[in-house]
Amino acid sequence: MAKVSVLNVAVLENPSPFHSPFRFEISFECSEALADDLQWKIIYVGSAESEEFDQVLDSVLVGPVPAGRHMFVFQADAPNPALIPESDAVGVTVVLLTCTYLGQEFLRVGYYVNNEYPDPELRENPPPKPDFSQLQRNILASSPRVTRFHISWDGPPEPQGSPEPALGCAAAAKGLGLPGYVPGLLAENSMDCL
Amino acid sequence: MKLLKPTWVNHNGKPIFSVDIHPDGTKFATGGQGQDSGKVVIWNMSPVLQEDDEKDENIPKMLCQMDNHLACVNCVRWSNSGMYLASGGDDKLIMVWKRATYIGPSTVFGSSGKLANVEQWRCVSILRSHSGDVMDVAWSPHDAWLASCSVDNTVVIWNAVKFPEILATLRGHSGLVKGLTWDPVGKYIASQADDRSLKVWRTLDWQLETSITKPFDECGGTTHVLRLSWSPDGHYLVSAHAMNNSGPTAQIIEREGWKTNMDFVGHRKAVTVVKFNPKIFKKKQKNGSSAKPSCPYCCCAVGSKDRSLSVWLTCLKRPLVVIHELFDKSIMDISWTLNGLGILVCSMDGSVAFLDFSQDELGDPLSDEEKSRIHQSTYGKSLAIMTEAQLSTAVIENPEMLKYQRRQQQQQMDQKSVSSRETGSATSMAGVVNGESLEDIRKNLLKKQVETRTADGRRRITPLCIAQLDTGDFSTAFFNSIPLSGSLAGTMLSSHSSSQLLPVDSNTPNSFGPSKPSTEPVATASTRPVGDSVSKDSVNATSTPAASSPAVLTTPSKIEPMKAFDSRFTERSKATPGAPALTSATAASVERLKEQNLVKELRPRDLLDSSSDSDEKIHVTKSSSLSKRKLELEVETVEKKKKGRPRKDSRLMSVSLSVQSPAALTTEKDAVCLSVPAPTLKLPIPGPQRAFTLQVSSDPSMYIEVENEVMTVGGVKLSRLKCNREGKEWETVLTSRILTAAGSCDVICVACEKRMLSVFSACGRRLLPPILLPSPISTLHCTGSYVMALTAAATLSVWDVHRQMVVVKEESLHSILAGSDMTVSQILLTQHGIPVMNLSDGKAYCFSPSLSTWNLVSDKQDSLAQCADFRSSLPPQDAMLCSGPLAIVQGRASTSGRQAARLFSVPHVVQQETTLAFLENQVAAALTLQSSHEYRHWLLLYARYLVNEGSTEEGAAKRTAASHWTEPSLPAPLHRVSGTA
Repeated sequence: MAKVSVLNVAVLENPSPFHSPFRFEISFECSEALADDLQWKIIYVGSAESEEFDQVLDSVLVGPVPAGRHMFVFQADAPNPALIPESDAVGVTVVLLTCTYLGQEFLRVGYYVNNEYPDPELRENPPPKPDFSQLQRNILASSPRVTRFHISWDGPPEPQGSPEPALGCAAAAKGLGLPGYVPGLLAENSMDCL
Repeated sequence: MKLLKPTWVNHNGKPIFSVDIHPDGTKFATGGQGQDSGKVVIWNMSPVLQEDDEKDENIPKMLCQMDNHLACVNCVRWSNSGMYLASGGDDKLIMVWKRATYIGPSTVFGSSGKLANVEQWRCVSILRSHSGDVMDVAWSPHDAWLASCSVDNTVVIWNAVKFPEILATLRGHSGLVKGLTWDPVGKYIASQADDRSLKVWRTLDWQLETSITKPFDECGGTTHVLRLSWSPDGHYLVSAHAMNNSGPTAQIIEREGWKTNMDFVGHRKAVTVVKFNPKIFKKKQKNGSSAKPSCPYCCCAVGSKDRSLSVWLTCLKRPLVVIHELFDKSIMDISWTLNGLGILVCSMDGSVAFLDFSQDELGDPLSDEEKSRIHQSTYGKSLAIMTEAQLSTAVIENPEMLKYQRRQQQQQMDQKSVSSRETGSATSMAGVVNGESLEDIRKNLLKKQVETRTADGRRRITPLCIAQLDTGDFSTAFFNSIPLSGSLAGTMLSSHSSSQLLPVDSNTPNSFGPSKPSTEPVATASTRPVGDSVSKDSVNATSTPAASSPAVLTTPSKIEPMKAFDSRFTERSKATPGAPALTSATAASVERLKEQNLVKELRPRDLLDSSSDSDEKIHVTKSSSLSKRKLELEVETVEKKKKGRPRKDSRLMSVSLSVQSPAALTTEKDAVCLSVPAPTLKLPIPGPQRAFTLQVSSDPSMYIEVENEVMTVGGVKLSRLKCNREGKEWETVLTSRILTAAGSCDVICVACEKRMLSVFSACGRRLLPPILLPSPISTLHCTGSYVMALTAAATLSVWDVHRQMVVVKEESLHSILAGSDMTVSQILLTQHGIPVMNLSDGKAYCFSPSLSTWNLVSDKQDSLAQCADFRSSLPPQDAMLCSGPLAIVQGRASTSGRQAARLFSVPHVVQQETTLAFLENQVAAALTLQSSHEYRHWLLLYARYLVNEGSTEEGAAKRTAASHWTEPSLPAPLHRVSGTA
């Protein structure tokens, strides 16, 4: 079971000018004290075409994390416009907020971001070279896309891990393991086909 | 009989391993495989029962789903009270769930609105002990214990009142344990395992009662589960998969002598699950036929791998009904409704079937009283068969009942205190943490949060804790997911304003005890959702000017890039390798650095791959890497499995070892019990003597004689207590050696070994069953009908044995003995049952039962006593004749004042002051000791002194006015005394 669950992410100062920093107010709940820090990261997707243009805006360690509810504000500078393809400067892109524990990503919150000129004049006739100072960033805060991954919260499994004498049998018995992994099962399993 | 297959009860096609109907019949739980985790779902029962409800869109079908289990859930079971749900799975964990009732429907952060959980079930305990998949869990009658069994060959008994305490681990099976059932009377628990045995364990000492192997000799370990069941009348235990003459059966095991003469025959493949109807039935009385009292019978459902279900009545030789091919795959679990007329069956094929019987088919269910009467007539009174109402009035016949009653009372008290505190704080529960509103916190969070740099120069934020959380504490139920959508936030707000936040559950066996005062702040802090939803609203509000953005997003030209983004939302970034890296937690930071370097190295290659290619290409490379990863994982697990094999043998060895040790264990436990209450203080314990005599009183002449181990009867050494009162003798024998004795004209008490204290009347009648002291006796005292026991752990108790009341309850001497190597030099118990301790440093304290305080009544070093000179006020005749407890503890030399006055020349005013203060002390001490004689004496002295020294009118008035207050228990002359002043 995940030890950390995110209760809410509030996007602060939204919409805001393109150059202003990102601010996420993150509240999460931790079911038991964590031995290690959480690592949070804001990734700005420069272009849908390629991960090449991803920018890790910032990453922070968050800790210590005792059991309970916690909140913090994660602030990161705006993306470097130089690294964004000109064709992708205006329009919809994505900002990702990821959380990892012991090097394993267990949570990913994605937001659509719309960069546009608030000025109707500019919107109608956008300058050929994007004018980032005029762009407004609007994060679609109301519909985050949350993906959770199962990770090992007790750290990577040790080579001499807890003994599992019969794991194979049980898994196979449920049809989850490789069929017929346990030779003794073969006969009965085949009977099912009758 | 009606048969229904509610198709909407499914785990998206994944197998359902377990089903259980809530005791109140309104919902049921299923457990099984989820997407990439185990899954527990709680369903609404009414759409199953009524077609109208099924069609009604407004009636929710799914109430809650929990995917917290990391792997397949094998068993879900409601507690008998319906308060908790226990689930056990392949992740080796048992989770105990409790409903958070105060909070309305909500969504998980980020999930779309329609998946909202109607009910909130929170994991309140995670039970970790098993080293393999948990196959079955079972609550004992009355929910005192929770048992779980696992492929690690063990059964673990958990203390359901105090999770995660383990009461016992039952070892003895040599194969995967796949089913559990409690005896309805709570005397046994039975387990069935792949080792071709069914074992019955006693709940008294958690030892093996019997192991039944014969019917299972021919069995192969091929069923997923072996859910056996005990009949509600307790007479029969029916096993899952057994073999008789190479045919699969369900073996009937009689409680009487564990005989195995009968079985349920007919299934073509192994029986996976047997479930008795909770009701006992009797024949339906037909109107015409004269009532011929028929024997009550039970009803039992049997499910098998052959995909068929049979229902049997124990009064019939043939099954009541057999339903063939009910499912596409093996039946996994069966659950009866509490009224005994409905049955839910689940299958490996991921579907569920509901069978509805009529009373004509099954018979008339016996009422609970009738059932209880059957139990009582068969087994005598026992805890499990008592109904709640009976229990409170029943004569307590065994210690378990007493324990149960105590627990109930304790719970009520706890609840009272909690609820009173709750109501007290309810009004101020408005999103406040440490007196600061959440809004304020949020405003300043960025400024206030602590940010540091780690050694490697990275930012590290210390998160602000907004609510503490004791793991395992039931208060975790306070926490819940916060609703996301604005409308939900609105409902949250309204529900808050109507103060629904109070914990509703009234009979939670929780641990809100005094040891956890922190739960209150937690409760207050849990108002956080208000703040959150408020901010949510405000965020929404601020974003309204840009409400056009969703529209922009849906323009067709923009859809394509969004699709491209989709993968970004769900796939792990390459920056963090998904497979658990082989780094150890301790060197994590170093490793993380390395990892980053690694990432940097990796990245360019990735980029090379993708830069020239389209999006698709990336997918290809990703998936290939993914599958590779999977492969690696599989290899890993296979290796693990292989490794696991030989270890099985070593486990077996440890089992045989541990079997030998229970005796040693128990003695150890005892020893622990003895030493625990005495962390620092240890008073001397009287050693056992061969014989001793004790003079109790001289008038009337009374003495007691003790002779230890004077005779042996049947291997037991007996000790004799003899009492002689003015020539009249009585004697009695005790089974353990007498360590010390004490007596008064009213009672005789003796403290024996094993911390037993026995009390007899002066005529030799035993007044009480032996009292079990918390620790060995140090000193024993009697005065009148009061008995005082000072234990080695320096706790003091005083009882009034005639009125059967406690005067002082296990009061610790820590406060008066602390800090030095003082000892108790003299102990006194006044006629009014007030204990007085004279300590080696010359101080004497009495314990005031009404105030529950230790009061200093005498101090040899008291400078006041040395300076005070009141001889002039002493009445000539009864100068020193006043006797009483105060005089005893202070000793006769307490009037050394005169010498003191000679030794030190003190100004008169000062001496006057000290004398007055001393006299006041004496008056107060006499009052606290309830020694009326001495009170009178000292008050008189005080009054005389006041008069003699000619204090001012006001002063005297003030002081005498104060002494007008009289203790009701003190005799009347006092009024006169104060009058004379």
